[in-house]
Amino acid sequence: MRILASGLLVVGAIAGAVSLGAQQKTAPPPNISGAWERYGAALGQPTGDAQRRDGTAPPRSEQPVVKPAYQKEYQGRLTAVRDANAKGAPLASNYVDCLGDGMPLMMAAMFPIEFLQSPGQVTVIEEAFTQVRRIRLDQPQKKIEDVEPGFYGHSVGHWEGDTLMVDTVGIKESIRYNNVPHSDQMRIKEKIHLAAPNVLWDEITIEDPVVLEKPFTIYYAYRRMTDYTLLEYICEDNREFKDANGVQQIRVGDTGRK
Amino acid sequence: MKGLLVALAVMGAAPAPAFAHHSFAMYDHTRTVTLKGEVTKFQWTNPHAYLEVDVKQKDGTTKHYSIEMTSINLMTRLGWRSNMIKAGDQVKVTVSPLLNGEAGGLMLDVTLPDGKKLEPGVPAVNTFKRSPEE
Repeated sequence: MRILASGLLVVGAIAGAVSLGAQQKTAPPPNISGAWERYGAALGQPTGDAQRRDGTAPPRSEQPVVKPAYQKEYQGRLTAVRDANAKGAPLASNYVDCLGDGMPLMMAAMFPIEFLQSPGQVTVIEEAFTQVRRIRLDQPQKKIEDVEPGFYGHSVGHWEGDTLMVDTVGIKESIRYNNVPHSDQMRIKEKIHLAAPNVLWDEITIEDPVVLEKPFTIYYAYRRMTDYTLLEYICEDNREFKDANGVQQIRVGDTGRK
Repeated sequence: MKGLLVALAVMGAAPAPAFAHHSFAMYDHTRTVTLKGEVTKFQWTNPHAYLEVDVKQKDGTTKHYSIEMTSINLMTRLGWRSNMIKAGDQVKVTVSPLLNGEAGGLMLDVTLPDGKKLEPGVPAVNTFKRSPEE
């Protein structure tokens, strides 16, 4: 009887394992739909303490290493930005022209972002500048030369278990992550997954065999906003402008906008 | 000390682009000005809200100031609403003045007619050195 019981237990365990395996294969992707805010840097105040406590702080982002041929341009731009800020005459970024981040900086989520899961597509919306990117699921990626360069490029993705794997090409060379130069050969690979039920990570690896010595990876963590609807964002009265020297200026005086 | 202030200003300016429409380096991080005046308009727009204020000068004339705030999306999340300030309201505003000397500044806080004090959520606001109120 005892042997029989043990045997049944073993059979039961095997059956359980098999059915668990089958479940894993057919398990629906996790629900990441809804609004999210950057976690650990809300409202510009770095607060990593809570994350350190709950273990959901992602690894530190890597610094890009550009090839010697691009070093002068990259370092020159970083120095120019730093010097201009110190002088109180900041160089204008795309924001000054009310242009969105593009990829991958959009995923830094200056304001909340929203993921929408629908059949065949995951859509990401960033509240700031009403930025939208579309990730087509289970489709082959296009050749880079077949994608018109843009702010968000062409993204395809698929679920590997609980991780959304995304591949993006076709980013305009003027759209830069923290002033890092890139070529038309840049490819952005993302692994998006839940680090905890209400904490999402985006692990973003940027490849560019022309400009970079090696790929580098940046990490963003987001916290689920259970009761938030993204707000509209229209650049209705942009008083900032870029002067002839590329310096950010502002018009003073009532513009008459209501 | 001056070196420290510059360093703080740069530190303050550096992370701002990730969380603001633009750099705030064009404002004086080393001093603030307290403006007391009458609101001519509270403009609820992106990329920034603006408070337009007429400030009576000692010589009896009026000087108009355009005071930049943050994005209305950020302000909304901080509890602001578009009807909180109206034309005609007497307000007191702590501003970081424009370095170029024009009649404009960045709002660090505003005191409403009922005494309520509000902040528009300027990134790295603690890097702005406050001057005593005149």
